[in-house]
Amino acid sequence: MNIQEIFRSQKNDVVRLWTEAVYSTYPFETTGFLRTKRDPFGNPVAHMTREAAGTLYDAVAGEEVEIDTVKAALERFVKLRAVQTFTPSQGLGVFYLMKPLLRERILPALAAQAELDAYLTAESRLDSLALLAFDIYTAARETLAESRIKEIRNQHAQLARWAQRLEEGPSGAR
Amino acid sequence: MAKLPTPQMLVASRPAFPDKSWLDTKPEFTPGSFCYPAKKETMELLHMPNPHDWDPAAEDWNLPENWEKILCDAFADRLEKHRSLKLFMDICVRCGACADKCHFFLGTNDPKNMPVLRAELLRSLYRRDYTMLGKILGKKAGARGWDMSVVKELFYYAYQCTECRRCSLFCPYGIDTAEITAIVRELLHEVGLGIHWIMDPVKNCSFTGNHLGIQPHSFVEIVEMLADDCETITGIRPKTPFNEKGHEILFITPSGDVFADPGIYTFMGYLMLFHELDLDYTFSTYASEGGNFGSFTSFNMAKKLNAKMYAEAERLGVKWILGGECGHMWRVINQYMDTYNGPSPANMEVPVSPITGTVFSNAASTKMVHIAEFTADLIRHNKLRLDPSRNDHIITTFHDSCNPARAMGLLDEPRYVLRHVCNNFVEMPENTIREQTFCCGAGSGLNTEEIMELRMRSGMPRGNALRYVQQKDGVNHMACVCAIDRATLPPLADYWAPGVTVSGLHELVGNALIMKGEGKRTMDMRQEDLPNVAEDEPEESPADAPEAQGEGQ
Repeated sequence: MNIQEIFRSQKNDVVRLWTEAVYSTYPFETTGFLRTKRDPFGNPVAHMTREAAGTLYDAVAGEEVEIDTVKAALERFVKLRAVQTFTPSQGLGVFYLMKPLLRERILPALAAQAELDAYLTAESRLDSLALLAFDIYTAARETLAESRIKEIRNQHAQLARWAQRLEEGPSGAR
Repeated sequence: MAKLPTPQMLVASRPAFPDKSWLDTKPEFTPGSFCYPAKKETMELLHMPNPHDWDPAAEDWNLPENWEKILCDAFADRLEKHRSLKLFMDICVRCGACADKCHFFLGTNDPKNMPVLRAELLRSLYRRDYTMLGKILGKKAGARGWDMSVVKELFYYAYQCTECRRCSLFCPYGIDTAEITAIVRELLHEVGLGIHWIMDPVKNCSFTGNHLGIQPHSFVEIVEMLADDCETITGIRPKTPFNEKGHEILFITPSGDVFADPGIYTFMGYLMLFHELDLDYTFSTYASEGGNFGSFTSFNMAKKLNAKMYAEAERLGVKWILGGECGHMWRVINQYMDTYNGPSPANMEVPVSPITGTVFSNAASTKMVHIAEFTADLIRHNKLRLDPSRNDHIITTFHDSCNPARAMGLLDEPRYVLRHVCNNFVEMPENTIREQTFCCGAGSGLNTEEIMELRMRSGMPRGNALRYVQQKDGVNHMACVCAIDRATLPPLADYWAPGVTVSGLHELVGNALIMKGEGKRTMDMRQEDLPNVAEDEPEESPADAPEAQGEGQ
């Protein structure tokens, strides 16, 4: 098996184990629901996680993936983690939960073929992806902060406009 | 050397198997997870019971000494008063049909946001005092007594429910979980626990008639300012009749349409439509608010704030009331108004559209017609000249606001209007619209900025469905018929589907409406360039050109 084949043969398992690791960051009573219901709108958290898992693995495995595609797939997932009750490290730390899986599933096979370099490159790609996620995470938090300001402004928009008019006097209307 | 935590240790947010049962797991009051408490002065002014200063994040909530007795008595009183509540407490078999239907549950994955468990927080207290099994077996039968942590838990989850009633739709017994939340909030108010975002508007409504507490003269001036804007856009200044007696119709809309962006554009749509129809109507500065935050507070407060509608209809001698695009206002009108303040004043009649002659027999009891019904009827009878191409810059979807959809069945009228004023209309996935619509995530008085983070997760199911049609069909706009939606959906869209704008239905009607004698429209309601104007311009110059040619000849 060449390197690509090794990665592909493990995809299903690693993706499944990683999504389960992500699900276990949610309360115990909820994990079963996340695991079982497949509807993308009836169980959006699971759908987002599965989408991210597949793309994440392909990107780590060095498949031909466009950076924009990866970004789009991770975006929903990272945005979700950014507003759930996690600390930033808990929100993004899940990306590193893929490392022990790779070390268990991929490393032995690549080591046997003396392809350690290829393995280390894959791990580095995971690091880059986590950084990419960090960008998305930060942007999401900034959007959140901006929304709060914007909302305060919008609520009184007409009042502020009216008050301005009063200040300017009748001649300065609008 | 200090040991660094591994990623696994950092991520682990819970033990592999919980060491406590769900009833013993308590919420944490972290910033962003709770709304700011109501001010003591506000509660005093409103004569609410036990007003006091308190902080949800603090250990001690400064409750009155006999708080347990107050709560037990209040609960007994509500059980006596509302037979439905007793039924809801008794009848649930915990089948779980509602469990995964709540947008708060889907977004937070907190088990206590399953409607069944949220209700169980109250039901467990009920069980101890009102069921034989609970009395004998106690905790084994899922019964528990009141303690401070229970009060905190009730507060935490009663304000993580938007009373949207999506769960009730799936309940085989028809348990209205929203009413359970409403009762929990009412009980908490008995010991002085309320939130600022709800009680401040309630106070303002009580004293000046609208949420922001705008005085009548200012209210009128702001509406006139919006009429000026209509003139800028169309060349016609719509009339703004206020407090005039003897008209046929009183128009009441949420005040958010007058003060808040982007609600104002919807309001301008109303003004233009009424002017075009030469409708015999008036606004009122007394009933200047359709919204009713009292309905998020208590039965009596909802009744009090609702009363001004009929009072003003009687004073002004109108035949019926036309209501603007609002959410919970319509739930109150459709489900509770008759009980609260009915029957309607003697001067009121079953609403008949003066333009088409249609009798709104569905409103025979309340005498209040939803503007989407009214406009849909106008279009049906071909009474409006519309140019939907003025909305060609948008591909719109429609968000069914929870209350009009589930509490009054207003599903097809807004869509009918939308299809006639827009050329591009796309539905979101089936299990996220109509009766099954997902809440904006911030209804029932939760549209406050301090919980923006919570709103983004509770609104995620809606945002997610919106993002889906944005990517699949290029949707760039979402219409809705609720003022709270118009406030809460823009940040939700900015977060989950950036690039999608939000407006009320009548903003789009205003865009498309061809008014008699209007000037050439170059701007939409937001005074931004209309899409097809550039194409028109060459037509204009040829219009000049023949003249020029004529001169030449």
